[in-house]
Amino acid sequence: MNLKMPDLSTTGSPIKVVRWLVEVGDFVERGQAIVEVETDKATMELEALGPGTLLQQLVPVGSEASAGDVLAVIDETQAGSTVIGNSHTANEVSYHRDFLLNLYERMLLIRQFEDRVKALFLEGSMPGTIHQCQGQEATAVGVCAALRPDDFITSTFRGHGHALAKGLTVQEMLDELFGGVTGCCKGKGGSMHIGNIGKGMIPGIAIVAGGIPVATGMALAFRMRKTQEIVACFFGDGAVAEGAFHEALNMAALWNLPVLFVCENNLYGASTRIDQVMKNTKVSDRAASYGFRGETVDGNDVLAVYEAASQAAQECRSGRGPVLLELETYRRSGHSRRDPCHYQPKEERAFWSANDPIIRFAQALLVDGNADLDDLDRIQKRVDDEIESAVEKAKTTPKPGIEDLLTDVYAS
Amino acid sequence: MALITYREALRTALDEEILRDENVVVIGEEVAQYNGAYKVTEGLWAAHGDTRLVDTPISEAGFVGMGIGAAMLGLRPVIELMFWSFAYVAFDQIVNNAGCVRYMSGGLLNVPIVIRGPANGGTNVGATHSHTPENLLANMPGLKVVAPATAYDAKGLLKTSIRDNDPVMFMENTLLYGEKWDVPDTEYLIPLGQADIKRAGSDVSLIAHGRAVITCLKAAELLVAEHDIDAEVVDLRSIRPLDEETVLNSVRKTHRAVVVEEGKPFCGIGAQMASMIQEKAFDDLDAPIGRVASLDAPAIYSPPLEKRQLPDPQRVIEKVLRLS
Repeated sequence: MNLKMPDLSTTGSPIKVVRWLVEVGDFVERGQAIVEVETDKATMELEALGPGTLLQQLVPVGSEASAGDVLAVIDETQAGSTVIGNSHTANEVSYHRDFLLNLYERMLLIRQFEDRVKALFLEGSMPGTIHQCQGQEATAVGVCAALRPDDFITSTFRGHGHALAKGLTVQEMLDELFGGVTGCCKGKGGSMHIGNIGKGMIPGIAIVAGGIPVATGMALAFRMRKTQEIVACFFGDGAVAEGAFHEALNMAALWNLPVLFVCENNLYGASTRIDQVMKNTKVSDRAASYGFRGETVDGNDVLAVYEAASQAAQECRSGRGPVLLELETYRRSGHSRRDPCHYQPKEERAFWSANDPIIRFAQALLVDGNADLDDLDRIQKRVDDEIESAVEKAKTTPKPGIEDLLTDVYAS
Repeated sequence: MALITYREALRTALDEEILRDENVVVIGEEVAQYNGAYKVTEGLWAAHGDTRLVDTPISEAGFVGMGIGAAMLGLRPVIELMFWSFAYVAFDQIVNNAGCVRYMSGGLLNVPIVIRGPANGGTNVGATHSHTPENLLANMPGLKVVAPATAYDAKGLLKTSIRDNDPVMFMENTLLYGEKWDVPDTEYLIPLGQADIKRAGSDVSLIAHGRAVITCLKAAELLVAEHDIDAEVVDLRSIRPLDEETVLNSVRKTHRAVVVEEGKPFCGIGAQMASMIQEKAFDDLDAPIGRVASLDAPAIYSPPLEKRQLPDPQRVIEKVLRLS
């Protein structure tokens, strides 16, 4: 991935590199400032488009560059495997501390977002219905961390976590949930259809399994254009019983398409437990019947998800896809807004509470010395502040006018 | 000009668009190696290869959905349905994904897909293979619905549909595939939403689409020969978008209208036309608007009866004569 000089100058005059903020060999996060530049109008910082390791600084301090010039080379394949820090996880792979804390922050952001949205519903200020993902944060974050910024995802009616993991902002999502014209879908999609194609996420496909053929078709487009992107297709265990699942997986296999099928197996399709609707409850077994690789992974271990998804993504990218990942996880909320979730047995809930992905990961960070309590508090505060400030703005976001109702139906 | 079949017109349109735009890909059951169930794609696989003509399993929901996903990323898939009757197993994909995604994305995402195939009765294949879903699909904002009656229209409309940035449901007719019309040798396009006066007349407007246009043209010849009634035949060509002005101008001229369709009458295209005409040209009407449609039952198998179930020139003539 190259960091290019954007078109910053209104006059077309060259832009000066003032100062490098990151050294060669350093790990950078998505959105981290890398270099300070000066135009004829202002001084500003340029940010990394994705996580990785800075390999080269191509323009020395004091030199000038034009729009489109490559300033730096960042190797995103080393997002999680560079041995720079001294952190170690149970499986002996080394990760940079910043990468780990970023995973933690993303998961916490999703949890806090969902809890805040639930509170907004309870207080009666948020319209519609809602399908939440508390307890499933590691699946979204682990998979999306393994993707490149230009890869795509498809999601479902339970898409808030996927959207935040893919880089949609809290603000554009809350604005959408409040039905505002500043929302990521201009208030025309809502909770179940959250997405932003500019960030690699099509609107949530809210009919069970409906997104699986669509994702497969996106992969067909990559194949036809001989590009390197892949698509990660999220769906739940309930989708496995739909015909669209079978049809799409069969064709993806037939043509070795670069699609990563991600089944978040949370044991329940709405209120019905998985063993009431399928004889073989190991979803990853399905892959073999289509002729490709399937794997079941602890979906509440964000690093296990990240590693499995990284490997699967690499296979897809090199023409050895598709891959079916079954991520075992648990939904701590009801299926939808009005579901009190009484069908989940107490012991089962207790087991999965003890297995909560965020608590588990926080403990690992503390035990491994990658974070102390102050670090976690600081992250918590940052997340809370971001959400609270977005909630305040979202509550007053302007609503679409009646004239907006009839637009965007057709392109022409 | 060349005298070619409706089928050849469609094939030429596909061939030209495949050559013109590398994003065009034809996807469907036996469209490539077998040359298409109705031979519309004959020779195209040999000419353009596996990447442009893709044979699929019998998985309509799957490959229609895939076409939609590919279209979201800028390909221009042309999905062939062996029959439009098979679209019902892909209805979620068509309605929810092709039809709604642009709107739900706030206009950020287009779905430039064409779904095409025959949608007609009259071939003694019974109820499940004789559906005419243009009214169902035209009821979905976000979808466009096109139904050409001639080879000339088939070619020009298909080329436009492929270049259109919205999902276009393209309704053909197996009974027309072998019929011949004059088609220009040079390239032409027909805009969507532009009706065509297939026969000018002054006494009554026969408004139709698809093969019902041919029925109306035959009826018009008999009406003038036997009853001295000069009928104008308005071919809608595209049902959505709809060329209201051409329809209304015709009615303002003739003051009488009969809407003819091969679909079922209940909530049919004729109901839409009648509503639109009475709302916008009520004072121009000298008689109630007449409708002729398929008789209101699932398509019957029995050959002599199926002929009577579909509109024929005689029923059109009777309806015209009954207008006061």
